[in-house]
Amino acid sequence: MPSLCFYFQVHQPFRIKNYSFFDIGNTHEYEDDLKNHAILNKVADKCYLKTNQKMLELIQRHNGKFKISYSISGTAIEQFEKYRPDVLQSFIDLANTGCVEFLSETYYHSLSFIFSKTEFKKQVEKHAAVIKKYFNQVPKVFRNTELIYNNELANYIQDMGYKGVICEGVDRLLNGRSPNFVYQPVGAENVKLLLKNHRLSDDIAFRFSDTGWAEFPLTADKFKTWVHDIAGNGETINLFMDYETFGEHQWESTGIFNFLEHLPSEILKHPDFDFKTPSEVIDSFQARDIYDAHDFTSWADSERDLSAWLSNSMQKEAIKQIYSIEQEVLTCGNPDIIKVWERLQTSDHYYYMCTKFWNDGDVHKYFSPFDSPYDAYLYFMNVFSDLECSVKKIHKKIKMASRISKTVQVNSEEKLQTKANSSTIKKSSVKQTALAENGVPVKINKSTTPLKEQYSKMLAYMSEE
Amino acid sequence: MLGWEFPPIINGGLGIACHDLSSAMSELADITMIIPKSSPNFKMKNMNLIGLNNLDIASYGNYNDNSQSLPFNLHSFPLDLDPYYTEEYLHPNTGNYASLMGDGTERLQAFNIENLYGNDIINKVTQYANIATNIASKMDFDIIHAHDWMTMLAGVKIKQKTGKPLVMHIHSLEVDRGGENSKGWVYELEKKGMEYADLLMPVSHFTANNIHKYYGVDKNKMTVIHNGSNVVNAFKSKRKFKEKTVLFVGRLTRQKGPEKFLDIASKVLETNPNVRFVMAGVGDYFKSLLEQSSYKHIGNRFHMTGFLNLEKLRYLFSVSDIYCMPSVSEPFGLSAVEAAQFGIPCVISKQSGVAEVLSGSLKFDFWDVDKAAGCILSLLKDPVLREKIVEDASVNLDKISWDIAAQKILDTYVSKQLI
Repeated sequence: MPSLCFYFQVHQPFRIKNYSFFDIGNTHEYEDDLKNHAILNKVADKCYLKTNQKMLELIQRHNGKFKISYSISGTAIEQFEKYRPDVLQSFIDLANTGCVEFLSETYYHSLSFIFSKTEFKKQVEKHAAVIKKYFNQVPKVFRNTELIYNNELANYIQDMGYKGVICEGVDRLLNGRSPNFVYQPVGAENVKLLLKNHRLSDDIAFRFSDTGWAEFPLTADKFKTWVHDIAGNGETINLFMDYETFGEHQWESTGIFNFLEHLPSEILKHPDFDFKTPSEVIDSFQARDIYDAHDFTSWADSERDLSAWLSNSMQKEAIKQIYSIEQEVLTCGNPDIIKVWERLQTSDHYYYMCTKFWNDGDVHKYFSPFDSPYDAYLYFMNVFSDLECSVKKIHKKIKMASRISKTVQVNSEEKLQTKANSSTIKKSSVKQTALAENGVPVKINKSTTPLKEQYSKMLAYMSEE
Repeated sequence: MLGWEFPPIINGGLGIACHDLSSAMSELADITMIIPKSSPNFKMKNMNLIGLNNLDIASYGNYNDNSQSLPFNLHSFPLDLDPYYTEEYLHPNTGNYASLMGDGTERLQAFNIENLYGNDIINKVTQYANIATNIASKMDFDIIHAHDWMTMLAGVKIKQKTGKPLVMHIHSLEVDRGGENSKGWVYELEKKGMEYADLLMPVSHFTANNIHKYYGVDKNKMTVIHNGSNVVNAFKSKRKFKEKTVLFVGRLTRQKGPEKFLDIASKVLETNPNVRFVMAGVGDYFKSLLEQSSYKHIGNRFHMTGFLNLEKLRYLFSVSDIYCMPSVSEPFGLSAVEAAQFGIPCVISKQSGVAEVLSGSLKFDFWDVDKAAGCILSLLKDPVLREKIVEDASVNLDKISWDIAAQKILDTYVSKQLI
C-alpha cells in the first residue's frame, strides 16, 4: 500500500539592510525590519494563512486521511511571533488536528553542520524546544537546511536520537534506483532515509505554471495518474517542497489552490493509496537498500550540491569569518551579540552572494533583497566587521576586569601577608623598598587612589572607547 | 580657453583642475572659457563662461562651415570606441545633434546629455570643435589654451582659422589611461595635435617624459606646470573602530592600480592584522576586486565603499591614518595633495606627478608591492617617521598653489614670446 508523504518547508530569514562602511561603529542595527515585516506580511497573506486554511479544511474533510508535515525554521517562528501571531496560531490549529507532523531542523536554518558540530547540535536542540513549546510535539525526523545531507550527518543525527532523515533523492546517487522506497544510510542502522521524489515534487513547485512545459496545465487529475502509476513499484512517494509554493512562488491565479483542493480526493480514489507523515512512513516500511552519500548533497539548483551557498570566494570568505569568531562570541556573554551572530548563520545570506548564472541564478535573484551578489557580500562583511568590533570590545573589558579583580585579590592577599608578618616579625618597613637590578634601592610607587575608584575610572574609560 | 569637464559637471580631476586653474588665471588675464555643457546657475567672476548647451543656434550661424580640412591627416579609425558602426560615425559632420529646424532658438541637443563621454564621444568632440571655432572666430583674443584631447581638435581648428598661438595643457594622456601600447584615434589626435601646438604644458615631468617617450615631441616645446590645490579646511574625526586605516581614493581602473592596493593590503595584513583598508571609488574593477579580496581571505579587513560624495570622502580622509596611491601612470594625483592637507602621510607610486612636488611622502614603484607594504608597516609602528613625513608634506603644500601655477603660465606665455 503506497503512501504519499508531504513535507513543506516554512522559512523566513532575517534579511540585513544595506549596511554601509560608514555604519560600522555607528549603529548596531543590522536587520532591515521594514523589509522583513513587509515580506512576511506579503507571504502571510498570499500563502501561509490561505494555505493553512485550505490544509485545515482538507484534513477535516477527509477525516484524518489527509496528512502532512512541516519544518518551520526558528527564524520564521520568531518572525511570526514578532509580526504575525495569527500565522503562528493557524499552524497551532493544524497541529491540533493530529494529522500534522513537525520536523526537526537547525533553528537558524544554518549551514552549521558543515562548520561547527557543537553549534549545529545546539541549534537543533533549540529548534526542538520551540517546536515542543508551540506544537506540543517532540520531533523525531530531521531535515537539514535545504536538505543538505551526507552519510556523516545521518550518523550524527542517529546519535542525537532521531529515527529518520529527510534528504534529496539525487539521481547520481540513486543510480537508476527509485526514490520511492525507504533507504538506509551508510553506517547508521537506526536511521531511515526519506528521499525526495524530485520529479513529482518539482512538477508542483517549479513547473506548475510553466507554460513552456509539455504537461502544462497540470491538474489534480493528471497528477493523480502519475502517482498511481507508481503502484507496485514504490512504497512512499515523497513530495517535499517550499511551502511558499502555494500562493507565493505559484500565484493564486495559476490555479495552485484549486489543484491542492482536489489533490487528496483524487489520490484517495485509488484504494491502495494513502497519506502518511514522515514518522509514519518510517514506522511502516522497511529500508530496501543503502543510500550512500559520501559528499554533501542538497535540494538546491540543478547541481543539488553546496554550490548555491559555497561556490564562490565571497561566500566562502563570509562564512569562514563568521565561524572564526564562534568562541569569542559565545564567551562574550552578551545575548544580543550571540543572537546577531546566530542569525548571520542563516543560509540565505550566503545564497544571496551566489554568482552562478542561467536559470538557477534567476532563482537566486528572485529571492535576494540586494541588487547584486556583490552588494550582498559587501553589506554582510560590513555587518560582520561591526559585530567583530563589538565582540572584541567586550573581551577587552572582560580581560581588564579580570586583571583588576586579580590585582584586588593580590592586594588583599598582600595585606593579609603583611598583617601576618607584622604580627610576628616587624619587617614591613623593610619591604617598603626594593632593590633594582643595579643594587640601588628604588621606592615603590604606591598608588594613593583606592582600588575601587581606579576600577570605576577604568570602566568609564573603556566605555568611552 | 577650451575645457571639457567643468563644475558642476565633473567626472574626475580634470574638471576641478580646469576650474581652479582658470579662476586663478582670471585674476591675471581676461578669460573666455568654452565648455560643452554648463549650468546657467553656475557663474564665475572675471570669466566669460560659454556652455554650448545654452547657446541659441541662431547666434552663431552655420557651424558646419568649419568642417574644412585639418592641417594634418587624421584617418586612423576609432578602434577603441563603439564596435557597432552606425550612420553617424561614418558621417560625423552631418550635424545630426543640433536641430536646425524650427524657429532657430533651439538648444544644441548634443550637449544636453548626462554623459560627456560615452560611445559617441568622437562625434561630440567634432561638434564641439566646429562650434567653438565659429565662436572664437568672432572674438578678439591673444592665445588659445586647450585642456586635454577632447578640446584639441577645437584648438587646432581655431589656430588654423585665426592664426593665434596654441597652448595645450596636458592633464592626462591616452597612454596613461590605456597603457603604453595605446594607439587609435585618440592617440593619433593627441600626437598630431601636440605636434601642431606651439607650446605644451604638461602637469608634471612624469607626463612630459611620457609625451617625449610615446609621442616623440621635443621637450623644448614643453613647460611643466604642476597642479595647484585649494586650501581645504581639514579636520579630524574619531574613528568608529580601533584598527588603523589605510585609504585609497580613485576610479577602479587599470590606471589607478587598485589591484596593487589589494596586494599591498594583503601583504600588510600578513604582518599586522589590525589594519583596515578602505577603497573609495567605482569602476570596472569593482567586482573582481571584491571577489579577490574574499579570495585572499581579507574580507574582514578590506572595505569597498563605492561612489562617495565630497562630504563622505572628506570624512574618510579625516579618519584615515595613511593614504596609498599605487597608480600605474598618474599625470598628477590631486587626491594625494588632499590627503596631505588632512595631515595623512602618503605612500605613493613613483609613476605619478604628485611625487615630484610632495617630497614629504614615501614612494615606491607601482609594481613593488613589498616596498609599499613595508612603508605602510613602518608608518604604522613608527610615530617619529610619521610625524616627520606629515611635517615635510605641510612644507610642500605651501608651494602647491593654483596662484603659483597661474603666474607661471602667464610668465611662460611671455618668455616663449607667444604674446
